[in-house]
Amino acid sequence: MVSTAQSARNTASKGVAPLRAGTGKSFLLRRLHSLTGIVPVGLFLLEHFISNSEAINGVAAYNSQVKLLTGLPFRLWLEIFGIFLPLAFHGIYGVYIWWRGENNVIDYPWTGNWYYTVQRYTGLIVFAYVTYHIWYMRFAGVHLVDHYDAAFWKVQNELSHPLALGVYVVGVIAASWHFGYGVFLFAAKWGIVTGDKAQKRAQLAGIALSVLLVIIGLISIYSFVAKFPKQQRNPAWDQPAESAAPAEQSRAIPHSIPSSRAR
Amino acid sequence: MANKSVLFKVKRQATPTSEPYWEEFELAWRPGLNVISLFMDIAENPVTREGKPTTPINYDSNCLEEVCGSCAMLINGKARMACSALVDNLEQPLTIEPFSKFPVIRDLQVDRSVLFENLKAIKAWIPIDGTYALGEGPRVLPQVQEQAYELSTCMSCCCCMEACPQFNESTGFVGAATIAQARLFNMHPTGKVLKDERLKALMGDGGIQECAYAQNCVEICPKDIPLTKSISDVGGDVMKKAILDFFRT
Repeated sequence: MVSTAQSARNTASKGVAPLRAGTGKSFLLRRLHSLTGIVPVGLFLLEHFISNSEAINGVAAYNSQVKLLTGLPFRLWLEIFGIFLPLAFHGIYGVYIWWRGENNVIDYPWTGNWYYTVQRYTGLIVFAYVTYHIWYMRFAGVHLVDHYDAAFWKVQNELSHPLALGVYVVGVIAASWHFGYGVFLFAAKWGIVTGDKAQKRAQLAGIALSVLLVIIGLISIYSFVAKFPKQQRNPAWDQPAESAAPAEQSRAIPHSIPSSRAR
Repeated sequence: MANKSVLFKVKRQATPTSEPYWEEFELAWRPGLNVISLFMDIAENPVTREGKPTTPINYDSNCLEEVCGSCAMLINGKARMACSALVDNLEQPLTIEPFSKFPVIRDLQVDRSVLFENLKAIKAWIPIDGTYALGEGPRVLPQVQEQAYELSTCMSCCCCMEACPQFNESTGFVGAATIAQARLFNMHPTGKVLKDERLKALMGDGGIQECAYAQNCVEICPKDIPLTKSISDVGGDVMKKAILDFFRT
């Protein structure tokens, strides 16, 4: 047995602490992390993939989907409590979980361990990607809440940059995998799917969901990049929300800026 | 080949606080060698490959038939029992190290008392002590016996904990073995009386929530205990309790 005095001196091998039975908040936080991954973050991800695949049907269809979403009642509250806060919690606590894991896939290169590792790193990738994506699409440049009709152009314009296109492809694949496999993890951890055979099936189902989302996502990206002609920027989109007329009228009403007439 | 030899290196450490070092050994091959028999040969004639005299290698062992769980160590980087590690099935030179996540006492002997502490924390026993005879206990159905049997073969070797990426000083995760024992004792009609306390213990810091399903435990377990099933099973019980507690306390 190692005496406490000895272990204090040898910091390299003080060993893993025993269970702190019935104490702490990590159970609540960890399960909340697991839950937020499915609801609302996962649900929002599904909605987001479906909405973005409207791009397959063209510019007007995509923009009208954006109009529907940006025009929802209580939009700001839905955004804050349905998206931003749960996403921030899932992301930040997820980074903490990643940081505490001691990856050993080199020593134990088994399938489950690979999935464990991939789940951690796709999580990091998605967190970085989504932070950028939200900043660019929601807060930077033309404001889509004011100008829903700029939506297709804004995405197309972003994806016209090869680096951005690469980032989006990686982001879509990482997010799809993280969510699909995450559904299996949720089912396993919450005791919904417990047996070995059932877990194999659930794991396959989760991976199938990932692949389906990757396909939908890549087709959507293709629709922006290559399926439809390049959209032109409308100068009316530069008007801030207060001064601009409702988006559908903005092209009809003469503007004080000469260039808006020139087009 | 008449003069075949076995080449292996051992990570040694004289005291819990001293620096570890490697020593190489070479022994004559003979049929049926396992890692423990290599150590026995070294103890008989403790010299390194270079012919330098050394001390016999220190290690835990007892049954030498993979039921006591004492001789677990890292052999070629993987946690396993030294007694069932046959030299002929291993790539040479063998690399033999003590477990990396447990404090070293000397050489390959490590302090695995954390598992004992964890088992105490979840009350891994059936409470039958009292002041008078309670008579016969309730019958255990044969189907339950079958499930309980495989869980009861756990020999506390700690391989599942060593191989788990979540079992580390940062998380202080309880590990698969303890969770499987919680399932075993919760399954027993008399042991069930402590079920709530066990589940509550497993909700503490370092509890069942730290499992992230890398599933190394079930792959590495020398006794093939259904550890991931146990974790999911107990995970479900814990969730049920958490939700009921939320609405009813």
